[in-house]
Amino acid sequence: MASSQSVATTTNRERQGWITGHLLLFCLGCTVVTAIAGIVQVSRGVFSMSLLEAWTAVFDTDVLLSQEVWNAFLLGGDLPELSRESLVVWKLRLPRVFVAIIAGATLAVSGAIFQAVTRNELASPFVLGVSSGAGFAVLASLVLFSGLAPYLPLIAALGGTVAFLVVYAIAWHGGTSPVRLVLAGVIVNMIFYSLQQGLFSIAGDLSIVQSAIQWTTGSLTNTGWEEVRMALLPAIVVLVLALFGAQQLNVLVLGERTAKSLGMRVERTRFLLSGVAIVAASVAIAVAGIVSFFGLVVPHIVRNVVGSDYRHVIVGCLFAGPALMVAADAGARLALGVQVPVGVVTGVVGGPYFLYLMRRERTMGEL
Amino acid sequence: MPDQCKEPVTTAGGNAIESVLVGEELTLSYPGSTEPAVDCTRLDIPEGAVTAMVGPNGSGKSTLLKALARHLEPDEGTVLLNGEHIQSFDQSELARRMGVLSQENDAPGSLTVGELAYHGRYPHRSFFERASEDDHTAVNHALELAGVDHLRDTPMSQLSGGQKQLAWIAMVLAQETDVLLLDEPTTFLDMHHQLRVLETICQLNEREGVTVAVILHDIAQATRFADYLVALRDGQLYDWGPPADVVTEQLLADVFGVAATIERDPEILVRPSHALPADRT
Repeated sequence: MASSQSVATTTNRERQGWITGHLLLFCLGCTVVTAIAGIVQVSRGVFSMSLLEAWTAVFDTDVLLSQEVWNAFLLGGDLPELSRESLVVWKLRLPRVFVAIIAGATLAVSGAIFQAVTRNELASPFVLGVSSGAGFAVLASLVLFSGLAPYLPLIAALGGTVAFLVVYAIAWHGGTSPVRLVLAGVIVNMIFYSLQQGLFSIAGDLSIVQSAIQWTTGSLTNTGWEEVRMALLPAIVVLVLALFGAQQLNVLVLGERTAKSLGMRVERTRFLLSGVAIVAASVAIAVAGIVSFFGLVVPHIVRNVVGSDYRHVIVGCLFAGPALMVAADAGARLALGVQVPVGVVTGVVGGPYFLYLMRRERTMGEL
Repeated sequence: MPDQCKEPVTTAGGNAIESVLVGEELTLSYPGSTEPAVDCTRLDIPEGAVTAMVGPNGSGKSTLLKALARHLEPDEGTVLLNGEHIQSFDQSELARRMGVLSQENDAPGSLTVGELAYHGRYPHRSFFERASEDDHTAVNHALELAGVDHLRDTPMSQLSGGQKQLAWIAMVLAQETDVLLLDEPTTFLDMHHQLRVLETICQLNEREGVTVAVILHDIAQATRFADYLVALRDGQLYDWGPPADVVTEQLLADVFGVAATIERDPEILVRPSHALPADRT
């Protein structure tokens, strides 16, 4: 009898687990946006083609079903003969979309985790100093030790971790308040920003400075399969870990004491999840530079739509992040006709959006 | 008669009562402060009874409860749960034995009462496990006991303060522990919800034999609902025992700084008359 009774009450929200109809619809919408923006992005460039041509090239079975081609893209082997359209689309333009997808997903998830771990809606990889720390580490290795390029995600993670720890140490006073954390982040960001500027002045080569500047604003221009190869594996690992950690995040947001009373080893969990978030942000920063506001705003958008259950927020971020990143990258190009670093777009659009959020939710930051 | 730390409890017949939680030679201080906040030779939370901890603000009730809950590590002394050193428990093992509700709780506004209650099952679930039939039964039972079954799908942001507190109580009830520690569960609630919280606690204790230690602000309520009182003053145990023995005019004057008359007819009634001058000691 007990089981029939429980079937009768399965309509309850808490039983729905990972997937809800709402979430499914949201993810579907995001996928459509990603696809459309991706096709637009792919059709643009010196060698211009119509959307239909771009579409056909993307779904060229010579590419999709060829083991050799994938070997070339993912493992860096030699590329076989392909049609001109397919070559342009697959070799030059699609990797940019893929990098945008990877960076979007990792940044969004990173922001979501940070917001839960710090119980602070203003937290993000940028606010917590992770972005600028990772950015400085990457920049330093670009300028000073250019041979380290394949290890950029690792180097970024190292810089991000150091910055995060410094921010936490400054903000810690028997716990952290949202405001203290943000202030500490501002301080650390300023320091790393100055260090970055300092690096410019000692970099002898002007072309390095130029690419470094582009990189500090967050840009997907000139990203290729090399970046995809570099970021794909660590991205998949951290995103899977984030999904596994979602339930823990749900308990963490109930507060440290409650989480402890419920049997969670709070310090350890918080430490591990912060690690996941730092690596996630570092992956994005290593390939796309510092894309401002992204990790802060996207989790808010997702939460507004799918609710605050972190299982849904993380899944939502996995789809919304790529959609918004690809759209921002393609949108700027479409609207202005020129290549604008994606970080500029997210900064210009994300800043005001966040202000709007703050005005609407007056209690934000007083948690 | 300050600091009358008593010997292990005995009933009127002289039989020893088992204590689930025992604090021995406890010296507690807040993190970052060297001044001891609580100094207590022995504290007993008897099994299967409701023990209310009373005392004025700053008397150390909360600190003491935190030490019992292992949220605060004692500077000196030990806390024993069922005779075992509380530090020896694994965090989730402890959470399966003892439920704790802190004074201030904050949940995401869109979390529903039912979802919150399911979090109470956290210590019973392993990392990847989905909610089992046991979990569903426990949650249903907890929601019913706390009287928030009808609010199951309501988000926390739409609840009154009292309803929120009952939802949190449902969460700790879903934990299905033998011991429950509650830090001021009735403060800031209206009369109706204060009584509902207390009735829930008593029901739980009577029907399921759960041991409860609860901090209460109101001595009259504590007298009515608790089997034992622990009165604290300035971080010291002032007196300990059944309300009939503990609640005296002397206690109200010494601990609370209130002049009151106590009527025993046969239930104890506390009638406060006026506040005593602050420098009376």
